[in-house]
Amino acid sequence: MARFWKSWEFALLGLLVLEILVLGAVNSTFYDPENLFYSTLDFMHILFAALPLTLVIITAGIDISGVSVMGLASITLGLVWVAGVNVFVAAGAALLVGVLAGLLNGVFVAKTDVNPLVVTLGTLFMYAGLAQGLPSLLDLLGFKAYGSEGLAAYQYEGITGLPDSFIALTEGTVGIVPYPLILVLFFALALGLLLHRTRFGRYLYLIGVNPEAARYSGIPIVRTLVIAYVLSGFGAALAGVMLTSYMTSARADLGGDALLPIITAVVLGGADILGGSGTILGTLLAGLLLGFLRQGLLALGVTNDLIQVVIGGLLIAAMAAKQLLSRWGERRLNRRALSASQRG
Amino acid sequence: MALLLILLVVATGFVNPNILRFKSLVEILNASLTLVLIALGEMFVIFTRGIDVSVGAATGLAAVILGTTLNLGWPVGLAILAALSTGVLAGAVNAFGVTFLRVPPIIMTLGTLGIYRGLMRIITGGSWIENLPQSIKDPNLWGFLGVPFFVWATFLVLAVTAWTTLRFRPARFFYAVGDNEQGAYVLGLPVRATQFVAYTLAGLFAALAAVVYTSQIGFVSMNAADGYELKAIAANVLGGVSLTGGAGTPLGAAVGALFMTAVHSMLIFLGVPGIWDNAFAGLILLLVVYADYRLRRALELQRRQARILGEGGGSGG
Repeated sequence: MARFWKSWEFALLGLLVLEILVLGAVNSTFYDPENLFYSTLDFMHILFAALPLTLVIITAGIDISGVSVMGLASITLGLVWVAGVNVFVAAGAALLVGVLAGLLNGVFVAKTDVNPLVVTLGTLFMYAGLAQGLPSLLDLLGFKAYGSEGLAAYQYEGITGLPDSFIALTEGTVGIVPYPLILVLFFALALGLLLHRTRFGRYLYLIGVNPEAARYSGIPIVRTLVIAYVLSGFGAALAGVMLTSYMTSARADLGGDALLPIITAVVLGGADILGGSGTILGTLLAGLLLGFLRQGLLALGVTNDLIQVVIGGLLIAAMAAKQLLSRWGERRLNRRALSASQRG
Repeated sequence: MALLLILLVVATGFVNPNILRFKSLVEILNASLTLVLIALGEMFVIFTRGIDVSVGAATGLAAVILGTTLNLGWPVGLAILAALSTGVLAGAVNAFGVTFLRVPPIIMTLGTLGIYRGLMRIITGGSWIENLPQSIKDPNLWGFLGVPFFVWATFLVLAVTAWTTLRFRPARFFYAVGDNEQGAYVLGLPVRATQFVAYTLAGLFAALAAVVYTSQIGFVSMNAADGYELKAIAANVLGGVSLTGGAGTPLGAAVGALFMTAVHSMLIFLGVPGIWDNAFAGLILLLVVYADYRLRRALELQRRQARILGEGGGSGG
């Protein structure tokens, strides 16, 4: 535990507290916990997708298809519900689609040597295209029964009128904590245990650090990789379902602009894009840090364009400071070791 | 990969012979120029084992500068110079962060991606740049032997890049630094300067792409070249440029970029409805990389078999 005080996660936690203090000092609504919790609804989908993506990035892989899976899950949920199925069963179907999407990514990456970026760029296009085309495909297959325009009409408008019980999924709270935030924390806890407390988690790091060593030590590489990508697909689908409830409409293009915030959360959280390092806590804290920052700046009346610039600048500044401190710390350790050896 | 590209075009030709016409092929080439140029710049960064996800945004920013200065009444040459300087500056900022501040490349360029895109909107107030003078659109109409001027120009850039990386000694530094940074340092190579030049070149090529893009499209929208960073990286990987650094050729990167564009063009010739464009583009990309993988594995197996048989024969005789 002593090491925690020197860890990157602790620095992120410090930054998070500092950020809330500063934002609150300018605009006191930020000191209201209810407000603070409520604002997480605007970026929870980024956390749902970024948390399991951490596992994939630890294996030196990447999954950029998540943003398309969000839309695909959302439109699936809507179409299944329109067909007369209970909305929560429809949500289950959406999650299943996410698992299948992740399965395809995982099998392709694990069974071939094609770069994961290329594979998931292919599926990014494919899943987005499927989500766009699904309504008119169902029309072609003869499901014209729903309205004279056919299901294709939903392609642009989205599917609205979802039951209140489903909307309550993101409107409901326990005390002052919204359901999605609780779910995010549970999801993070489950993934954290999986990554840091199981053999599966160690395998992920080993594959990321040295795939050759992983192969020769006989660990189940294919299974491990497939599970990581399936979890990533599942997380993206969960994000899609939550976003559908929050936006009160099922749309094929939901979450389309979340790709960069998601990757930013994972890498700011301390994961190395070349594999082998990263933690769930880091991603969670970095996601909250970035999310609150955006919400805070919006609340202060900063325009969206300027926010992009500010967040980009702060991201670079935070990382430059981290590098500077670690080099400085290294030099200090070296000097101490040198003087100790001279004395001895 | 080049073989598969030709195969794909010929296969499309069976369904719609129009694609095999000279004019159609030139059209596909013409449509790929922006990505080819961006991918070539990205290539230098990937050589050094880095990554630059801001190249699309740098293209957009350079296009905005080009459009804005033109509409202010600047002569074309000066406006293009301003755009190229913007690209070089954008690349140099990345280079400074990576080499001097030691920020990991992915984070540095994710940061500048946000900054450059934000700046685009701040400069223009979020509206498109339209009514550009004819002088910038003219080069797009020039041609020689039925091939547009920009295709020739890009071809020239590619040829110079290819010749330089093969024959110009300092250009080999990119490979050395990416293959083994410590080793390159011990050998006395200017590691940081090499990395600096790589990111700056990525910015310069992004700006070249911006000039072609603006001339071809005739206006600058706020999502100009959006998502091109991922396509450029994928083009490099497809073309055999290794993301772990130190390997690849300019020709490979260019063919990869051509392939990424050709997939979309092909769907038009196949008569696929627009709504399915993305789905099929993704599917074709996956099928091709899978075919490429199987092909490479079969060749590898054959090579090994030949070696084992060869060794067996040698010891027997």
